[in-house]
Amino acid sequence: MLQYDIVVVGAGGAGMSAALAASRDRHLRVAMLSKVYPTRSHTGAAQGGINAAMGFRDPTDSVEKHFRDTVKGSDFLADQDAVEFFTAGMPDIIRELDYYGVPFSRDEHGRVAQRPFGGASSPRTCYSADKTGHVILHTLFEQCLKNGVEFFEDWMLLSVVVSDGKLDGIVALDIRTGEIHPILARAVVIATGGFGRIYWTRTTNAFNMTGDGTAVCFEAGIPLKDPEFVQFHPTGLARTGILVSEACRGEGGYLLNKHGERFMARYAPEKMELGPRDLVSRAIETEIREGRGFGEGLQAHVLLDLRHLGREKILERLPQVRDLALTFEGVDVIEKPVGIRPSAHYTMGGIHVQDYRTCATPVEGVHAAGECSCISVHGANRLGGNSLAEVVFFGKYAGLGAQETARHRDFGNEKRVVAEAQRWARVFETMRKKTTGHNLFQIRDRMAETMWYNVGIFRTEKDMVKALHTLDELWEMYQDAYIGDSSVRYNQAFVHYVEVGNLLKLAKAVTLGAIARKESRGSHAREDYPHRNDGEFLKHTLVYKEGDRYRLDYLPVRITKYPPEERKY
Amino acid sequence: MRTITFRIQRYDGSRSWFQEYVIPYESGRTVLWALIKIREEQDPTLTFTAACRHAICGSCAVRVNGHSVLACKTSLDELLKVFQTDVLEVTPLSNFPVIRDLVVDWRPKTERLKTVKPWLIPTQAGSAATGFAQSPQEYRRIASPTDCIQCGICSSECEQLAENPRFLDPFILNRAYRFAVDSRDAAPEEHIRPALESDLWKCLHCYQCVTHCPKEIRLDQEIAYLRQQTIRMGETDNPGARHALAFHDDVRNTGRLDEVTLPIKTEGLLRTVTRRLPFAMRLIRTGKVNPLQRPRPVRGIEGIRKIYAHVKEKEGKRQ
Ligand SMILES: Cc1cc2nc3c(=O)[nH]c(=O)nc-3n(C[C@H](O)[C@H](O)[C@H](O)COP(=O)(O)OP(=O)(O)OC[C@H]3O[C@@H](n4cnc5c(N)ncnc54)[C@H](O)[C@@H]3O)c2cc1C
Ligand code: FES
Repeated sequence: MLQYDIVVVGAGGAGMSAALAASRDRHLRVAMLSKVYPTRSHTGAAQGGINAAMGFRDPTDSVEKHFRDTVKGSDFLADQDAVEFFTAGMPDIIRELDYYGVPFSRDEHGRVAQRPFGGASSPRTCYSADKTGHVILHTLFEQCLKNGVEFFEDWMLLSVVVSDGKLDGIVALDIRTGEIHPILARAVVIATGGFGRIYWTRTTNAFNMTGDGTAVCFEAGIPLKDPEFVQFHPTGLARTGILVSEACRGEGGYLLNKHGERFMARYAPEKMELGPRDLVSRAIETEIREGRGFGEGLQAHVLLDLRHLGREKILERLPQVRDLALTFEGVDVIEKPVGIRPSAHYTMGGIHVQDYRTCATPVEGVHAAGECSCISVHGANRLGGNSLAEVVFFGKYAGLGAQETARHRDFGNEKRVVAEAQRWARVFETMRKKTTGHNLFQIRDRMAETMWYNVGIFRTEKDMVKALHTLDELWEMYQDAYIGDSSVRYNQAFVHYVEVGNLLKLAKAVTLGAIARKESRGSHAREDYPHRNDGEFLKHTLVYKEGDRYRLDYLPVRITKYPPEERKY
Repeated sequence: MRTITFRIQRYDGSRSWFQEYVIPYESGRTVLWALIKIREEQDPTLTFTAACRHAICGSCAVRVNGHSVLACKTSLDELLKVFQTDVLEVTPLSNFPVIRDLVVDWRPKTERLKTVKPWLIPTQAGSAATGFAQSPQEYRRIASPTDCIQCGICSSECEQLAENPRFLDPFILNRAYRFAVDSRDAAPEEHIRPALESDLWKCLHCYQCVTHCPKEIRLDQEIAYLRQQTIRMGETDNPGARHALAFHDDVRNTGRLDEVTLPIKTEGLLRTVTRRLPFAMRLIRTGKVNPLQRPRPVRGIEGIRKIYAHVKEKEGKRQ
């Protein structure tokens, strides 16, 4: 049976940082599992940059300002001790990444270049043209190769096995061979990314961002924290939802409605296009609803205009943005504005981490980092550039935390892990042999539609209750789903079956959290409760799954320095 | 109604076959859109990988009518126009083992990648606590090579790799180059030497990798650079370097190649006699070369020598 001191699940920025940190101790055996080849992870899609108060571009910037901006951006739902720890440590992380070889763009003094980003009071987003996530991902991969980290690519996490609040091991599918393996580990780091795919078609996320690790931990009894907070990126391409980087606003792009107005003047007169994402997304949707957009229904959009930046600046700073608009919308942004509309982008909620220094969850032996987790440093709304920062930073601390755990913990109950693997093997067998049932893709698409229309950018109790009924119905159908592929080898239909199951569980948790939060805060905008209500809701949601029952609980927010104030930009 | 026919190569681990799918034509769509449509509406067993949808993760490369492309970035309209057909044949990348249908195995490539030490070997000028200083000009040298998304298209298109499994995949040479020219790297030779030892000089200059690279990386120029560096490293005693040097000297001396001495300088007298003689005799017989006529300097040779001097001076400044 496979046995490792530490297993890292996920090979994005968070997973690779964790594996790198953990593998520094040569006495520990570290393995990394990923359902895709490591450099295919979604971290590579991050374009704009990574925040750290280096003070290169603006000497008046400081860790303190980064701390305050993040708390304010979070609509005061972030835990301030965690945010302080995070923002204070980020400059060191940038220097470390530089030392690993990340090709950062540079200023004239040879220092890492920084650009302005939404919600930041100073230009502190470090970048590499518009491929920042890509180069960080590849550099971390290189370092993992150097450190001899053992990769298991095309391996999919199916279960985390827990007894008496302690980790026993995990179960994973080797997608290539179709074998299901029990794996014993003293510690695991879950780093499986977000679950924006609950909105399947209108999201900036890759196909595989299905929140597997989050759902698996949820199933194992670890609560989901703040799942109702989903960030919608204001600038998704109109037709496909594909992201155009926030850098295009950072570099000075305009948002225009059909009257040619820079409508942000109405919503954020000072910051204009550089307002935080939730505000800009709602502004765009409001323009569309009030008839000032272009097009109708799902085709509706506003325009992003970059022409005034000039050819040279666009080619130098935003080449990828230009390329995307050309390929997917057939528009050259040097000559014409491009249609954009919000698109589901980032899930602030996730696996409940209770110790930000080690990224430990309530289950002994299980650590979590990156978008799958909720520490919480983003609270109700994440600032652009803070996620790459989070994944590298907390990935490292999760790796170090797992090291500590692995040093003092023994292996868990082997029998239970084996039994769980056998159970999965039976599920796989059944699904392979099944010849009739509900179409899986239809279940998935109905879920997405219901989430977009009812638990999307604007929310009401009535709509969300409707969504809840639909989700329950879909869950019933899912029990009798049909995958249509009997292959043992590389059975993607089965992989997708597991993913859709995970999405359904998470979508329900999002909806439940959202219904119960009778206020508007950050990305969570209730039309029936348009104001923030600190008296009742300055607290984290915790959703537990106990068998088929979902239970809600709450946890106080840790406020150390900045008492809540109204969030104005 | 206009339709498009896809002939897709299938493979289940033991058997390989072509399967046809017909889908209605829609304008402004990509190859990936079509593959997904086929999987979701006609055949859930059709296996291929894709993740980001926007040409950054490198998952979705396949061959369409023999050309390697990123499925997510390639417009169907363009393909139909270029090939003047409504039938497209989709096959997995070449020069990779296939796992199932269009999914290929990257593991062997990762192992080969490791040979060029694809990581920064940092100079003393920086540390984990301070980072580095690097000028915008120095950054620019690594900007393009770090665009590589490791999609495998260059490997699939590489004519040398198809014949010679020792040759390193272009994306691996790119990785060696990327570190060799990074001002923060202390040991360019450690990235370059493994490339040299894997038949660096055997690149055929067919440019297939360059023309197909979705990130437009100039792999030809990178390979030329790596070769130059091996000569600077003193690695002149191999056929590739000797060939290049013979070219260099011939043109400087006379302004043209001496086709009689070129193979001798490249491969040595003995090998030339044993391997090239029949070929040479044929050339002589058909009048393509005349061994008795030694090339004399061409008119304007001074101009050529000036170019040499100019390049040398510039190179000296760059050193
Ligand atoms: C288009 C786009 C642009 C963005 N731009 C920025 C930006 O400019 N700045 C910024 O700060 N943030 C940005 N973000 C957000 C940021 O990129 C992500 O939040 C972050 O990269 C997530 O990293 P991660 O390591 O947590 O997860 P990921 O990079 O998503 O990696 C998840 C890993 O888990 C693996 N995995 C998943 N499920 C399983 C399973 N069941 N079994 C095994 N392995 C599994 C996957 O294979 C993958 O390796 C952007 C996001 C998007 C979508
Ligand atoms: S899907 Fe990522 S490159 Fe095509």
